[in-house]
Amino acid sequence: METSFALTGKGYVLVAADTTSARSIVKMKIDEDKIKDLGSHLLMAYSGEPGDTVQFAEYVERNIRLFQIRNNYALRPSAAASWIRRSLAQSLRSRKPYSVNLLLGGYDVAAEEPHLYWIDYLGTSTEVPFGAHGYGSYFALSLLDRYHDPDASLEEGIATLKRCIDEVAKRLVVSPGKYKVKVVDKDGSREIEI
Amino acid sequence: MSIMQYNGGSVIAMVGKDCVAIASDLRLGNQALGISANFQKIFPVSDRIYLGLPGLATDVTTLVNMYTIKEEREIEPETFAHLVSSTLYERRFGPYFIEPVMAGLSKTPSGSFKPFIAATDLIGCLNFAKDFVVAGTASEKLFGVAEGLWEPDMEPEDLFETISQTMLNAVDRDAYSGWGVVVHVM
Amino acid sequence: MAAASVYSSPGFDFSNQIRNNFLTDKGLPLPKATSTGTTIVGCLFDDGIILGADTRATEGPIVADKNCEKIHYITESIRCCGAGTAADTEFVTNLISSNMEMHALTHGRKPRVVTAMTMLKQYLFRYQGHVGAALVLGGVDSTGPNLFTIHPHGSTDKLPYVTMGSGSLAAMAVFESGWKANMSREDALQLVKDAIAAGIFNDLGSGSNIDACIITANHTEMLRNVEMPNERAKKEKSYGFRRGTTDWKSEVIRKLVLSEEVTPIGGGDAMDTS
Repeated sequence: METSFALTGKGYVLVAADTTSARSIVKMKIDEDKIKDLGSHLLMAYSGEPGDTVQFAEYVERNIRLFQIRNNYALRPSAAASWIRRSLAQSLRSRKPYSVNLLLGGYDVAAEEPHLYWIDYLGTSTEVPFGAHGYGSYFALSLLDRYHDPDASLEEGIATLKRCIDEVAKRLVVSPGKYKVKVVDKDGSREIEI
Repeated sequence: MSIMQYNGGSVIAMVGKDCVAIASDLRLGNQALGISANFQKIFPVSDRIYLGLPGLATDVTTLVNMYTIKEEREIEPETFAHLVSSTLYERRFGPYFIEPVMAGLSKTPSGSFKPFIAATDLIGCLNFAKDFVVAGTASEKLFGVAEGLWEPDMEPEDLFETISQTMLNAVDRDAYSGWGVVVHVM
Repeated sequence: MAAASVYSSPGFDFSNQIRNNFLTDKGLPLPKATSTGTTIVGCLFDDGIILGADTRATEGPIVADKNCEKIHYITESIRCCGAGTAADTEFVTNLISSNMEMHALTHGRKPRVVTAMTMLKQYLFRYQGHVGAALVLGGVDSTGPNLFTIHPHGSTDKLPYVTMGSGSLAAMAVFESGWKANMSREDALQLVKDAIAAGIFNDLGSGSNIDACIITANHTEMLRNVEMPNERAKKEKSYGFRRGTTDWKSEVIRKLVLSEEVTPIGGGDAMDTS
């Protein structure tokens, strides 16, 4: 089952999402990237209804890019979160709403601090020190309650993230196989191997 | 389970002597799973009005944005209460799932300030109580505790203790509220 | 979703409907609004009308408001008691009150009770009972005293004594045994008070205090809380907490004088200010 985690640390946000793409009981793909780069300092992990997810992620990506082209500066993470939330809330009032859950991690280059937003398909949005979606969240959130440190170094953050991934692999019946992990900090976003 | 309990959360407002207080919990949940321990449900509307919005979190954010956009000017608490009531009743047949609670100080003709509290249901039925108003998933518990602890003419310091203890104890018996409390005293 | 605009068209806004149906289909039932279980009554006496109401508002089994006002202003000599969905009774009487004022101004004479009754029944019929207001309308106009009941679907009755709400049976029992034609003002007021008290003490949806309103040809007297049979005894002791009982994490004192700071967020050239 789809699972995504994210956590903040000292000057960075770590975002992880599984890489399986499934239809019914069949795994169709095992190297799907479910974390979109929305500009240089913003990452968005998405999960939910297949089809809706990619469509919505690309819609967000292009609108955020359009904002940057028009205004010559990028939306800050909080502004991007507000815009995305509103898009989902508006979609929910349409005939066929997007069923997409998101974790939005970004580095605010102006204030020089990392931000993470937990957003669901209803348009619920809240800033969190760490967050998760999917069945994995039931395991990961309790681990993160215990081990998360907002001042942890990247290495310590990755170690905490690994704990979550290992626990889900160990205890969840329908656990995903592989994860893609990305980090965003003052230098921008990049993928990391774990 | 009702939509009103989906994210959880509670708000209470109380009147004191020339002062008012409004308090809320900080939990945001996804049914039984806690997501955030820092979800603000109380928002300043002006220097002298605070608005508490327990209910469905997505509607909390939507309405807060709406009031912020519409009301960037001084407004009397009574007038604001009617504005909230009308906006909700306009959506009588497709409501926002929130139960607003308001606390404020209204200006009297002599220039002094009078405490004001009000609450509405999800379709805008106003309740102007003289003692306290409650809303949210812990409302039944809040009613009970507040009914026992509230007394007239409390000084701000005593009002703080009463509203805090009311909130903390009510919220402890509600699975969907808690994870911290914030109190505003005016 | 309707755009956040200061200007909006009149009438109800259905923009949340699709979303709400979607949520109910997911198995999340719609919550209930505040209702007034209510005992409301009205009765004729020799030179006018007396309306009466209890003051309890409920949300399911919870008493939401212990002292609400259920006798609504329509015009100076027409008043209306409301039962049912509290928001509906409040807004429907407000709307008709406003339209009656306009009506009076256009025609330049005191409006009649039947006019208000017709406006109310036509409005309620249009909404096929979805606007859940059950009303007792009474007043005195050029034709003399008039008393009506209006049901949520728009049907009306014209009777010398009427009751409505969940306490209507208890109240009607009092009227049936005690009402006489051409009663004095004192006797009629006592009868109304007894009828409401019967509702307060025998119907769980009604409670607290008694409101009454006496309308005669040239005077309207609103008797707010004319009887308070359920007043709480004064607390024998103070349950106040010693200051410092609550342990708090942080305290912020809000500055009411705002200062603004501009944070450059990169990109773009600095503005040419030469």
